[in-house]
Amino acid sequence: MRIAVCMKAVVEPEARIELSAAGELQRSELRYELNEYDLYAVEEAIRANEAHDAEVTVVSLGTEDVVQSLRKGLAMGATNAVHIKTDDDLADSAASAAVLAEALRARQPDLVLAGVESDDLGGSQVGVLLAERLGYNCATMTIGVEIPGPDAKEVKVRRELEGGNYLDIEVALPAVLTIQTGINEPRYPTLKGIMASKRKELVEMTPAELGFGQLPAARVETVELSYPPPRELARMLEGGPDEMVAELLRLLREEEKVL
Amino acid sequence: MSVEIWCIAEHRGGVLDADTLQLLGAARKLGGTAVAVVCAADPAPLAEQLSTSADKVIALRHEALSDFTPGGYAQAIAPLARERQPGAILMLHSHFLGRDLGPLLASRLETGLISDCTELGWDEGLVGWRLVYRRKLLAKQKAAGAPPHMATCQRGAFMPAEASDSPGEIENLEAAIEADSLGWKVLGFEEAEVGDEDITEAEVIVVGGRGVGDQETFDSMRELTKLLGGALASTRPVVDQGWADRGLQIGSSGKTVRPRLYIGMGVSGAIQHVVGMRESDVIVAVNKDARAPIFEYADYGMVADLKEILQRLVEQLREMRG
Ligand SMILES: Cc1cc2nc3c(=O)[nH]c(=O)nc-3n(C[C@H](O)[C@H](O)[C@H](O)COP(=O)(O)OP(=O)(O)OC[C@H]3O[C@@H](n4cnc5c(N)ncnc54)[C@H](O)[C@@H]3O)c2cc1C
Ligand SMILES: Nc1ncnc2c1ncn2[C@@H]1O[C@H](COP(=O)(O)O)[C@@H](O)[C@H]1O
Repeated sequence: MRIAVCMKAVVEPEARIELSAAGELQRSELRYELNEYDLYAVEEAIRANEAHDAEVTVVSLGTEDVVQSLRKGLAMGATNAVHIKTDDDLADSAASAAVLAEALRARQPDLVLAGVESDDLGGSQVGVLLAERLGYNCATMTIGVEIPGPDAKEVKVRRELEGGNYLDIEVALPAVLTIQTGINEPRYPTLKGIMASKRKELVEMTPAELGFGQLPAARVETVELSYPPPRELARMLEGGPDEMVAELLRLLREEEKVL
Repeated sequence: MSVEIWCIAEHRGGVLDADTLQLLGAARKLGGTAVAVVCAADPAPLAEQLSTSADKVIALRHEALSDFTPGGYAQAIAPLARERQPGAILMLHSHFLGRDLGPLLASRLETGLISDCTELGWDEGLVGWRLVYRRKLLAKQKAAGAPPHMATCQRGAFMPAEASDSPGEIENLEAAIEADSLGWKVLGFEEAEVGDEDITEAEVIVVGGRGVGDQETFDSMRELTKLLGGALASTRPVVDQGWADRGLQIGSSGKTVRPRLYIGMGVSGAIQHVVGMRESDVIVAVNKDARAPIFEYADYGMVADLKEILQRLVEQLREMRG
């Protein structure tokens, strides 16, 4: 069984996001890390590898910022990695999916895992669009996968719905599943895993080598970025922790009458 | 007649998801004819219900539409959308339907889909506004590609359409579906887990977010909930880490609560959490980051280390209670 995992490097969650006077994102200061959802996807693939001797390829499209995430995937136990190099972040889901599909097509994975969404720009579209490109079935919001065996023709998928309800479905392979956090407990790479990862294959390629003389046109363009309109803030309590807590308890008791 | 905006109705087990009416509200706000599109094995009762709020209902019938499957819905809707060219197609950004059907339909119609919009408008095509980078920026996005353009709408972002005295006309159509390309076989539905204590019943809720940092700190919050006579609950990452049971999770994929007092510690205020708690009477937030979005929903805020606040809350409440 061949499994591919799509990994995206996203702007780190705690980053300060600043716009220039012209309304452009100040990218130079930003640091990137592996999208949290994708970490669970890699873990799920490695478990399938352990159970069914699957080959796990981690794939990422992006700048040099993604390499560290791919290395992490290898250190966790992925078999090999593919880096499709671009000069800029590709913000458009349809364009990203088109390029990723070409990189995966030749490998013919039985199962492709992606994250439910990317933490920074979060369109939650790439997995589904990729499946359409490859002609695969697809299910989003996966919180459980049962792979019956190495020659499985279908997988059982538990989807998480609103309110924490579940929908159980069967999806015929080949398929793309998008993985939700909490599906497993991602492992930390061990020292041995890190050492072993240095000998693993990390293939670099360009969109041009995949047949994209120029990148596919965006289906969704960002025309303007701005700071969200300020909302009314909470009444902020002042002073040291002792004073703040004393004041809070007074307010809750005397004014709000909830204590 | 104004341009048609198709709103894909969401329903399960014969029950309409009431948030579908928000899509019809968005369609009216866009100045279009609000058309509800309902796919089902027996769409008549749903169509009738929708007709009171929609200008028009398209009811697509086929045996294979008895359960939602992305393949079934796409086969029913795509050919009709190609033929009739509505101005836009909207659906909820939902776990149940929107996340699967939205991109699938957009792909088949070769059009752009703007995800999770909180506002919509026109600018030579459909434009949508959505929060990005953890709600630190607002992006105005424009759909390219062939019309009809598409968008998914954030729950709660649009006012539901009001019922009108003259119900919209219902058009009944038989869908053409290849039953072996539905994508899924539906096996069953299961209700969410409820923990030992039902947090939806509590008058006071203390919530630990990822900022609590470890199991021990999360557990130590029980002391505070005991003093307050309330329940302990959590955000999703705390459940994912295994520090709390899934039954304690508040938010879009967890419980919705409305206590008299909500105290959130180490909670950033992501929309998926906020939708489950914003109706609380009094909201208190403790976060070390003064720019955390939770402060926009709170009545009282403290920029501080939660451990320091937790410790003092326990001490001072003990003193107060004697
Ligand atoms: C489809 C979907 C469904 C989801 N459903 C839910 C849901 O039902 N419920 C839910 O909660 N989330 C849900 N999420 C996840 C959601 O998007 C956020 O990731 C999550 O709510 C963040 O939880 P958090 O605030 O605990 O963690 P974070 O966002 O990581 O925030 C931690 C906060 O703690 C603060 N902090 C850190 N250390 C300290 C300290 N010592 N003292 C004080 N403050 C500190 C930090 O400043 C930060 O603001 C869902 C996501 C998706 C995609
Ligand atoms: N540039 C990329 N390279 C590899 N995978 C990606 C990329 N962009 C998105 N993905 C995958 O698609 C998922 C959903 O992303 P999105 O549709 O952007 O919210 C991510 O969690 C990744 O698994």
